[in-house]
Amino acid sequence: MTKKRFNPITDKSSEIIDFLMASPDMPFDEALRFKLRLSIEEAVENVVCYAYEGGIGWLEVGTSLDHDSLILTIELRDAGVPFNPLEAPDPDVSLPANERKVGGLGIFLCKKMMDSINYQYVDGNNVLTMTKRV
Amino acid sequence: MDITINKQDEKTLVTLNGRIDTSSANQFQQDIAPLMEGDRPDIDIDCSGMTYTSSQGLRIFLMLQKSVIARKGNLVMRNMNPMVKEVFDITGFSNIITIL
Repeated sequence: MTKKRFNPITDKSSEIIDFLMASPDMPFDEALRFKLRLSIEEAVENVVCYAYEGGIGWLEVGTSLDHDSLILTIELRDAGVPFNPLEAPDPDVSLPANERKVGGLGIFLCKKMMDSINYQYVDGNNVLTMTKRV
Repeated sequence: MDITINKQDEKTLVTLNGRIDTSSANQFQQDIAPLMEGDRPDIDIDCSGMTYTSSQGLRIFLMLQKSVIARKGNLVMRNMNPMVKEVFDITGFSNIITIL
């Protein structure tokens, strides 16, 4: 398990994303890395921008790889406002441009790019767990 | 993200190079401000050098397309790499922006 707690997290998105992408658990395949980076960026941005009022707080991120099943797990944990990002309805991707709302695509992209995404509120923490077979 | 904007007669040729992500999106939005001006814009974006976009990039492309439609113009994006194209496909953006 590669793990690190960032505190504070204001303006730290790039650093947190780069930390996760540099984990030895990450695959080398370019297309897979693209999907993982995108999912990580959307999930991290969600916490950095919205979890803490005033943006002051911590975010603990980690990766683990099951070497038998080749399932990569990415975990994000924060102590911000309880918020389940999976409860938001998916955007209607069939609407024409003038009816499309700006925003709301981040977690939808995570759902599409990862194999599974799971949210729990545990001991006062938001815990988001995403998995992908690599 | 590097961007070049070249106005040729009626057409505006744009070249994108690099990643649109959390660290570059704000600058990118400022850089494309010239594309948000003028009547009946005819904008052609070469995306062959764009290696990545997150939802922050999509947000800006949607704003651009809405603005282009409002000004009765035309927006084309071309030479998108397959991974970026997949992001546009999944989110339905391939249906709201002409991708060649």
